[in-house]
Amino acid sequence: MTASACGGTLRRLAAAAALAGVAGCAHPPAQTGSTGTNAGVIGYVHMDELVQKHPLYDQLARYDRSIQAFDLSTTTPQVASRDPQVLAREKELEKELNDAANRTKALLDQKQREYQDQEAAAIAAAMRGAGAGGPSAAQIAGNLNATAQQQEAGVATQAQHDLDAYRKTLAKQQNAQIAAAQKALAERADRTYRARADELQSKESALSLRLASDDAAQRLALRTRLSSLALDDTARDDVQKQLAALDRKEADAVAAQRNRDQQSLAALQSQLHDEVQHELNAQVAAIQKRSLGSLAQRQQTLSKQVATVGGPVVQTTTAGGKMQQQINPNLPPALRARIEQLHSDYQKRFQDDAKTTIADFQKTRADLSRRYQELHGVNLAADQDAQAQIASLHKKRDDLYDQIVAQIDREVRLIAQQRGISIVVNNVAAPAGGVDLTPDALKDIESLHE
Amino acid sequence: MQNPFTRGRSAALAFALGAALVAAPAIGATDVTDIGSLDQTALASLPSFQAASRQLNDYGVSLQRQYTARAAHASQATQQRLAAEFQGKMADKQRSLFGPLFAKAEVAIASVASSKNLSVVIDKRIVVFGGQDITGNVRDLLNSVSDPVPPVSTPPPSKVGFVDQQALDQAPKIKAAADDFLKFKAAQDKIAGDKLKAAKTDADRDAIVKDYRKTLDDHQNQVLKPVADAKSKAISDAAKARGLVLVVDKGNIVFGGTDITKDVADKLK
Repeated sequence: MTASACGGTLRRLAAAAALAGVAGCAHPPAQTGSTGTNAGVIGYVHMDELVQKHPLYDQLARYDRSIQAFDLSTTTPQVASRDPQVLAREKELEKELNDAANRTKALLDQKQREYQDQEAAAIAAAMRGAGAGGPSAAQIAGNLNATAQQQEAGVATQAQHDLDAYRKTLAKQQNAQIAAAQKALAERADRTYRARADELQSKESALSLRLASDDAAQRLALRTRLSSLALDDTARDDVQKQLAALDRKEADAVAAQRNRDQQSLAALQSQLHDEVQHELNAQVAAIQKRSLGSLAQRQQTLSKQVATVGGPVVQTTTAGGKMQQQINPNLPPALRARIEQLHSDYQKRFQDDAKTTIADFQKTRADLSRRYQELHGVNLAADQDAQAQIASLHKKRDDLYDQIVAQIDREVRLIAQQRGISIVVNNVAAPAGGVDLTPDALKDIESLHE
Repeated sequence: MQNPFTRGRSAALAFALGAALVAAPAIGATDVTDIGSLDQTALASLPSFQAASRQLNDYGVSLQRQYTARAAHASQATQQRLAAEFQGKMADKQRSLFGPLFAKAEVAIASVASSKNLSVVIDKRIVVFGGQDITGNVRDLLNSVSDPVPPVSTPPPSKVGFVDQQALDQAPKIKAAADDFLKFKAAQDKIAGDKLKAAKTDADRDAIVKDYRKTLDDHQNQVLKPVADAKSKAISDAAKARGLVLVVDKGNIVFGGTDITKDVADKLK
């Protein structure tokens, strides 16, 4: 082999080696599994692709869908729709109230009959003791009727009083419900408005920062010039003017953006106001309808309670608008006084007893009203729960995402170290000359499934 | 005539040259030791920034109160005038509070970058591994008693490029596709929202959202993907033409870098 030939071979070898080196540079080892040295090379990964291949991605996607479901639901607000469970509980409470009223009526009827029997027996005994020849069956029946009617009148008065009280309670509940609905709608609108305002303000800040960053190099250059002692006054003024112009330009851009944002916010406020009014009208109508229904039902129940048991009302007169009962004036005075005493005693005992029964009923009703109010509180709390749930979902989602990304980062770091890559970034705008580590990282991430 | 020893040396030299070239292109073509990173959130949590933020917030609350009081019974025209007036006040306040802080931060970043011979500083959020983290140096400089001194030299040309994607998205074809997609999405949002209202179980809701996302993905692939691919290719081509090794979004550049937005915009025309 001649030296020149050998030299030529060597030159070719060197050239080939050089070409291999150039090729290695021109095409950084995008091919996977390369173990060549890449010191000083920039690597990059497509994080979204890697996240989607992570074993926990399904869970992350579930969180995303749940959050999106909430977001989509809030973009089309539910008009006055109420929780079906709350409606069912309301019906249960109404039933409990009716049951309590029926029990009270039955108890009053029973007591009425017992007191009538006792009073009739006592009057019969008094008349027999007075030798009045004993009252006829008709007289006794008449007296019993009178007693019954007076007792029923007492119950009717009490029932009317009861109905009035119920009406007032219902009105209070209605007002409370309307106020709660109004508050909830206003708060929701306020939250929406504030979220948008915060978002816009954040964007304005970002814009301000970006503008400042955009002009950073220019500003820096100008400031550098200003710091030069050799600058004459004219040049210094000129530089200062340029700096001021930069400030003005940024301020104007931010102010213009803010103007647009304010208009957007004003439109949103108007839209939210209309939505709130519309929803409130619907809810108020629904609340009023329910209240009227409840009142009518209650009135019907009480009407049944105080329905007379039949028979004419005897010896009952009204004087000055007040009801009065009179014992037959033809009876001897002593007997009349005795009967009046008996009548008065039994009536008082019945009314006392009835008062206790009605008081028990009122206590039950108050308890039911309180539970009714609590139920609406639960409904309001449910809205707050939903908000808390959204926040919790966001947090869980973010935590999980951070965990996934942290694991991917570790895998990518190992790959980069093995391949001698100095820096790896994600979110590149487009591939250029860096090394794409995504395929290698994908293999490692997929192996986590095994 | 060369002796075998000489030939052996030549061969070894050739091999060494080859090996060096294999290793060197990466170093020679892509000197990434000049890439720095900065955690901007760490700077935002500096006491001076926090204090300014609080002041601005308090001022905003006070202005809002004044505006509400004055605009309550005013005409729409007056309200607009008042709004502009108060917005101006807010902008002035923001400028007066943050302007000096931003300027100081810029000088500090430039100073640290210059002292470390960095050609570019990128946002730490996009760095998975490596790079020179200068957050601590910048923070120390900002916390020091004296103001940072601006560097005398401008940053050297960088192999890392950036594009203003917001600006590129205003290209007629891209904007038309984006508008089309947003309109489609708004309609799908309404449809999915209505369906969700009628859904009874979590499984129903999940199925609705899956269907909604698939519909959006399909439309995105049909409408947005072609223009996104075209944009990506234009960025790659522009980057290669300038010999860049990496292109990131402008929002991720803190300092330095090579702006190729105009190159890409020209290619998209």
